[in-house]
Amino acid sequence: MSLQPIRTPKELGSIDYYTSGHRTCAGCGPAIGYRLATKAAGPKTVLLGPTGCMYVANGHQFLTSPYAVPWFHTQLGGGGAAGIGTAAAFRALISKGKRKREEINVLVYGGDGGFADIGYAGLSMALTYDYQRLLYILYDNESYANTGIQASSTTPWGATTTFTPTGKVKRIGNERMKKNVALTIAAHPGVRYVATSALYPPMDLVNKVRKALNSGGPAFIQILTPCPKGWFFDPKHTITLSRLAVETGAWALWEYEEGTFSLTYKPPKRQGLREYMRMQGRFTHLSDEDIERLDRVIEEQWKLWLESDRQRRIILPWTPPPTPL
Amino acid sequence: MAIPEYERLTWAVVHCRGVLHTAHGSNLVRILATAGMVAGKESYYYMRYDDSPERDNVPMMFYAVMGDPRVDVVLHEEVEPVGRLFDAVLVMDSSMLLHRTSQRALILDGAKEDAVLVVNTSLPAVRVLDVVRERQLAHDWRGSLVTIRARTYDPEIAYPLLGALAKAWNRVRIGDILGALELLGRGHKAPVVEEAYRDAEPIKVFLRAGEKAFKKLELPESREWWDLETYRAYQAAAAGARTYEERMAAMPRWEVLAPGLIEFGPTPGGKNIGFTTSFERYLRPQVDRGKCTDCKLCHHYCPDGAMGFEAVVDLNYCTGCGICSEVCPVKAISMVGEWEAEKGLREEELLTIEEALREYMY
Amino acid sequence: MSAVTARPVQRLVPRMRIWTGTRAIAEAVKIADVDVIAAYPIRPYTGVMNELARMISDGEFSAEIIVADSEHSQFEIAKHASAVGARTFVGSSGVGLLYAAEAITVTALAQLPVVALAGCRALDDPGNFGMEWNDTLVFRDFGWLVSWAKDAQEALDMTLVAYRVSEDRRVLLPHFVAVDGATITHIASPVSPPDERIEGFLPPYKPPYPLDPEYEPVTKAQHIAPSLIGTEQRKVVDVSMKRSRGVIEEAWRDFSRRVGRSYPPFLESAYMDDAELAIVTMGAYTKDAVYVGQKLRERGERVGVVRLRYWRPYPAQELRESLEDVKGIAVLDFSYSFGSPDMGGAFYNELRAALYEAYQKPLILDFLFAGGREPNVEHFEKAVEITKRAVERGRPERLVYWLTLRGEDI
Repeated sequence: MSLQPIRTPKELGSIDYYTSGHRTCAGCGPAIGYRLATKAAGPKTVLLGPTGCMYVANGHQFLTSPYAVPWFHTQLGGGGAAGIGTAAAFRALISKGKRKREEINVLVYGGDGGFADIGYAGLSMALTYDYQRLLYILYDNESYANTGIQASSTTPWGATTTFTPTGKVKRIGNERMKKNVALTIAAHPGVRYVATSALYPPMDLVNKVRKALNSGGPAFIQILTPCPKGWFFDPKHTITLSRLAVETGAWALWEYEEGTFSLTYKPPKRQGLREYMRMQGRFTHLSDEDIERLDRVIEEQWKLWLESDRQRRIILPWTPPPTPL
Repeated sequence: MAIPEYERLTWAVVHCRGVLHTAHGSNLVRILATAGMVAGKESYYYMRYDDSPERDNVPMMFYAVMGDPRVDVVLHEEVEPVGRLFDAVLVMDSSMLLHRTSQRALILDGAKEDAVLVVNTSLPAVRVLDVVRERQLAHDWRGSLVTIRARTYDPEIAYPLLGALAKAWNRVRIGDILGALELLGRGHKAPVVEEAYRDAEPIKVFLRAGEKAFKKLELPESREWWDLETYRAYQAAAAGARTYEERMAAMPRWEVLAPGLIEFGPTPGGKNIGFTTSFERYLRPQVDRGKCTDCKLCHHYCPDGAMGFEAVVDLNYCTGCGICSEVCPVKAISMVGEWEAEKGLREEELLTIEEALREYMY
Repeated sequence: MSAVTARPVQRLVPRMRIWTGTRAIAEAVKIADVDVIAAYPIRPYTGVMNELARMISDGEFSAEIIVADSEHSQFEIAKHASAVGARTFVGSSGVGLLYAAEAITVTALAQLPVVALAGCRALDDPGNFGMEWNDTLVFRDFGWLVSWAKDAQEALDMTLVAYRVSEDRRVLLPHFVAVDGATITHIASPVSPPDERIEGFLPPYKPPYPLDPEYEPVTKAQHIAPSLIGTEQRKVVDVSMKRSRGVIEEAWRDFSRRVGRSYPPFLESAYMDDAELAIVTMGAYTKDAVYVGQKLRERGERVGVVRLRYWRPYPAQELRESLEDVKGIAVLDFSYSFGSPDMGGAFYNELRAALYEAYQKPLILDFLFAGGREPNVEHFEKAVEITKRAVERGRPERLVYWLTLRGEDI
């Protein structure tokens, strides 16, 4: 059974599978992504949660659970394996006649720590298999937020975190460039569908989740989910920052379907990086020149994104980090 | 469960909000514990381990403990107080008095009968008392209340709150607090503390808890297996508990549990009744139905599923983040203060997140 | 001599095969109709996965076999497949088990009846492929059942019993079947494969709360503040482990009756009736120990042998009953625990702990074979001799001996 695309927010309906009642920060971006993704997947879904904010903040009390579909914790590095173990169990039980035939979605919702760092090998392994309706979603809040904001390999250049604080000698904070996890996943030939997404445009994530589940193979989506605590902003701005991330080109939205690349959003005029970064306390120490240099790096990347889009195939957007003056 | 050894110690607890007040809360207990040390008592201060890491708006607690060096501090990993410990209860955001704590307990749950309550607020003390009587009383309270508009003294609200506390409390003298400031290199804040001390007007309070006292819960008999029905019965009992004590009484014995930590989520269309999250809220959305175009953006963008499909807010879960009002394309949603919405009162002492972010340090 | 006439062996020992331990275990996994298998190579357990992969490729039975990226993933795969309702098989050796330790611990606390082969191997560094028990003994505190086979036959039988015990609703704990690396995993020995007599021995597996949208929305292993349920959860595991003793006895009684081989559930002993000295060990070297016992008996020495078949649950009561009347015990120990009480191995010290509650306390000496250098019957004879001398003198010269160490002449 194929999941239909959603044209308007109204079509998506009101039933939640990740429901109310979790101790996340006010304005939590990953929680919004979780709601949208699980709504898109629907009731015939098993959710798996690697350790992270979406594990620890969603639980905490006994005799409470926000999940209206089966949910099971997996270790921080276990996301890839947990998804494949679950999918394999369904396939084995169904093919051996031990369970009735039915299409079950397996959705693993893990953070950047779980999928870009410690669980990266497991994710990579899982995506070399051909399990259907197996979807890995990386909610990228650009740090280990649940342990008090430590840098991960998707923390952007210039961000201050507790492991990359700015100081008298190290002015910049995080000096590593953000790893583009989704691009590396696209290099797995068995993956039918790879996409990046954000909370903006509104139904972008929902439709990508449905495409991914329909794709007939394992799939991967990386969503940029602003984190009020880790990025230091007023919780009401979560969606505003998602929009700015997309409009400034700091976060490129694309999908890669069976070998064909396309940008799903092209900023009409890429601008406003300074506004985007100045809204986030983690960049306050950066000078306007720093931001301009970063903007030039993004400009270089966009030339390659657009060229990739034109050629319908991926050209790796290699760019050196902005060197501090 | 009361443990006399712990009750003999002198305890102060600070109720505040994650990220908004983290710096202020830790500052306050650090100074208080240092004051205890200056006075020659063995003293500790700490953030409740369970609240780590702090989260935006989520209530959290800091403790300062002074007293018997033979008894170690016990609450490092506990969910709630062991018995009635607190001699002083400080509340940095008065809207917290309108809701339960993040542990679904009451602000005065663990307070001694003669506890001092210090509230940072612009509201009249009598209004604060009304709400305490209505929502925060688990036991009789025969102590004192002092309210103070902390930010009119200093943006670092720990200092005026300490002054107000010292006025109402005989456990720590103002001189010891000033000594602590010297020791911590914060001597320049002494005038703030002294001024708040001078101005503070504690009032004597006697509130009876009446029927709010502990109620025995009806729970199902132990079964061999922890089935859905048993789970729901325990869940409903815990969710309906009014105090920490009642909630702990709803926690099952091991014989009832299924192997492998099984819980049950809501059925589709339901919500997590075991964990309402109104405690995160100091603002709430108000929807102008005349303007609403039924676009559903507020519903889909609510991190907590609190904004209904028809733009009706579920106040059990709304955390007051304000996303709905930001994403509304026709500006039909505005955010109003909790006090205003509930009691028609304006709280001027609200620390906004913008201000907090400027001060908030890791 | 006249021409040798070929005599069909089958007539004498019908259905016997010569299989390595790993091959035998693979046979058990096939008979159990396992649904999901997670593989990752490390010597010496790997053979079992090679066999299973071949069987699946040849259509001997059907299962999903996942080649994982690591041991950690392997055990996570098994854990999650088991939660859905699949019967699973996994395994590892040496440092591979330690790499998977995190996934191994959560499998027990989630109470999922995964069955795993532990092919015992010395821990790195260096890349030591000798036999030691440390890789498996460390899981003594994790909530897994651990049984120890002495040969390929028993490994096969134990694997089948492991599924039955760990899937029993009174237990629901994962299960290691441990076999000594090389001696069992790689040496082929005669095995009698189970036949139709074991039909119905292993009922189908269904978890009480499958992680399947077909049933209630189960939330499993959610993050919970420790004081709310942590203690109760640990107690449930503790009680499951305690209950497993009865289930193990039941299962082996049933299995023995069906196959006509007699298996005592927890301890196997030889010549223990009037023994004054006992050799205590586990695993493949039991055979050599029994030989030594026999040889010394022929010389008139009253020496017996006791073998543990389960390491968890630990058969403390059975050991006390069996060993209370002996005067000295030689422990053949393939584990070490640097800095432990009297610097003995973990196997030795657990035995000492169990016998602390004994009515009479025998002298217990540890003969520790660390580092993968193989001992032989001479070492074992020497161990008995040293123990005997210590008993005669009334006190031991030392408690721990490294008999295979260069310079410790025997």
